[in-house]
Amino acid sequence: MSPRKDVMQLQRRTLLAGAAATVLAAPSLLRAQPAAFRFGLTPVFLDNDWQLLEYLRSHLSAEMRQPIVFVQRRTYQEVTALLLMGKIDAAWLCGYPLLQNLDRLAALALPLWQGAPHYQARIITAARRTVHDLADLRGDIHAYSDPDSNSGHLVTLSELLLRQQRPEDFFARSFFTYGHRNVVRAVARGLAQSGSVDGYVWDAMRRTEPELVEQTRIVWESEDFGFPPIAVTREAFETAQSRRLWVALEAMLRTDAGRRALEMLQLDGFVPPEAQSFDRIAARMKIVAERG
Amino acid sequence: MRAPHLPVMVKGPLLAAGLLVLFGALASQLVLRTLVATQERHLREMAALEFAGVEATIGPFVVRDDIWEMFDLLDRVTHREGSLRPVRATLVDPLGRSIVSSEPEIHPLGAQRVEMIAEATPVTAPHYDLSDGTVSLSKVLHHQGRTLGRLIIDFDTTGFVAERERTVAFLVIGNALATIIAALVGFLAIRHVLRPVARLTDAMGHGTDALQPISEETIPRGNPEIARLYDNYNRLVHAVEERNLTAKRMADRERFVSLGRLAGTLAHEVNNPLGGLLNTVDTLRTYPDRTDVVKSSADLLDRGLRHMRDVVRATLDTHRAAPEVRALSRSDFEDLNLLIRPEAERRGQELHWQVSLPGGGMDGVPAGPVRQIALNLLLNASAAAGYGGKIGLRVAHEADTIMLGIQDSGPGLPGPLRARLLSDAPVEPGGGVGLRLVRELVQGMGGQISLGSSPEGLNEIRVQLPLAHEGGRDA
Repeated sequence: MSPRKDVMQLQRRTLLAGAAATVLAAPSLLRAQPAAFRFGLTPVFLDNDWQLLEYLRSHLSAEMRQPIVFVQRRTYQEVTALLLMGKIDAAWLCGYPLLQNLDRLAALALPLWQGAPHYQARIITAARRTVHDLADLRGDIHAYSDPDSNSGHLVTLSELLLRQQRPEDFFARSFFTYGHRNVVRAVARGLAQSGSVDGYVWDAMRRTEPELVEQTRIVWESEDFGFPPIAVTREAFETAQSRRLWVALEAMLRTDAGRRALEMLQLDGFVPPEAQSFDRIAARMKIVAERG
Repeated sequence: MRAPHLPVMVKGPLLAAGLLVLFGALASQLVLRTLVATQERHLREMAALEFAGVEATIGPFVVRDDIWEMFDLLDRVTHREGSLRPVRATLVDPLGRSIVSSEPEIHPLGAQRVEMIAEATPVTAPHYDLSDGTVSLSKVLHHQGRTLGRLIIDFDTTGFVAERERTVAFLVIGNALATIIAALVGFLAIRHVLRPVARLTDAMGHGTDALQPISEETIPRGNPEIARLYDNYNRLVHAVEERNLTAKRMADRERFVSLGRLAGTLAHEVNNPLGGLLNTVDTLRTYPDRTDVVKSSADLLDRGLRHMRDVVRATLDTHRAAPEVRALSRSDFEDLNLLIRPEAERRGQELHWQVSLPGGGMDGVPAGPVRQIALNLLLNASAAAGYGGKIGLRVAHEADTIMLGIQDSGPGLPGPLRARLLSDAPVEPGGGVGLRLVRELVQGMGGQISLGSSPEGLNEIRVQLPLAHEGGRDA
């Protein structure tokens, strides 16, 4: 089963119908003291900003009419596992772990960044270095973000393979920082000479932590990939709860807390996934998988 | 060179200030030692906490080779605020290679850092050197019985150094202020305590000033000690005044005694030619017509009267009440010879006369006092030498002085007379004529008196008079 076909199943109409049902059922839900909605997050993508989480919680709980509990884990793997085990109801994942578990997971919504649900992977190095291409980074100590991150691991591995390089030999040493922000820190501080980072996170940090980002520069940038999605299990995809989540995400711009959360995230809103959203990640996965 | 004499009012405060400086230096040293010990203890406790905190956390990361977590941990350790903060932390494996450092650009992953271990001070060391602004402390870390490596943390000690500098500055300024205040208080206290003494000193005058009594109304009767001191001083002043009056009366009496004795000689000297002169007058009356007799008689009268005139003039010059200030010259000693010779001849004494003076006056040496000194001593010498003895005068011009040597063949100057001449001891009635007068005259001219023997073996009283003296007082 191709990832594209699965994503195609997420029809906009279905989501809207579900949202309407949720609104009609709301009074009875309130009376029933609904259980908390558990939302999985990972610092790989989203920094643990208390204020941001408060805005998100405020908006989602108001819109979904149920309490929101954020469940945070260090790695995509941990959050993915919680989602698969039903310990959480939804998670903000990377496209790569979504595709790795496409038989069990489905994308509910994609954030809009700079008006499109796309982002790039970037390879960065210290600003003072005079290197111009990925090939110049041979022998570096390299910082990845997460083994299950598309931009923070998969893209660099596949790009090296595309260039007929052995990733395990290309870099003298590599390590995971479990956070795109940490990759930027590691490169800026000289712990690593280069790093694989999410282009959206790097850009967002230019506004929030310019002094850190200014110490790095981009050596290589990938093609566009589908933005890290809000994922749910397939069995939960059609539930009223998931529909309420989608409605709440779609309504982010309509509430004060939602707008503030989007401003902090430097995002424009959420859209339903398209059939080909994660095709390029799938292609990168294929390169790695074929190498064995 | 001898240090200048400082008054008590300066010495006291200086001594107080000096003692305070010494005490301040000792106290400051003690304070600094205590401060250093406190700072070292503070650093030791803080370092122990840091090492324990890292050791408790970093173990699993080292085991998993989780570089980021190790870095993040050490990075957080070095981003603490406070006066004593870790500025760099580096974990070195048992082979001396950097596992991770909070400053990876200085200590990259895997870099050989054996020398860093050698240079670091073990956290258990008894003393740390905090003077450089940073100190590297090290500790071997363990996790579940396994040696992870050695953690080296550089602590920023600039806060400690600044604290020491502030303390030193405070001590220096504090001590300086305390010293100044103590010196000032000491000065005021000593001035207050010594005020009666200072008043006494003022009343006693300086140098040749006369003693001034302290007026009765200014004597603090409320302070018995000072009142007694002032009363005693006033009694002393009165005693001195009475002594001076007595001495003056004695000197005057001695002057008249010597004058009287000289008068005898003078009368004898005048009387001797007087008989001859009267005989000559008789001869002139007897032979008024004999030209040759008249002429020879007139010559004889002329010689006799001139001799008498010379003797009278010499006597007047010596005892003039207020003689003019005239410089000493050889003629003064010729006059003296004229005055003493008859006395010597009367006693059948041999008179030695040796005056070696350059021609002209001796500037700065008044003639009057010197004549009195020499005449008094010669009269005493003549009396001491007795009948048929020897007396003499030797005058010599030396470098800056004139030396008068008065010699006699007598038995020598007895003790009481010697005291009159050589000391300021009270004068006993009777005794040597004019010896105290001689002493006062010599002192007034800034001279000295000594006793000795002449080359001929005679007793000799030597009087040294400075040539530069310009203010000699005539008695």
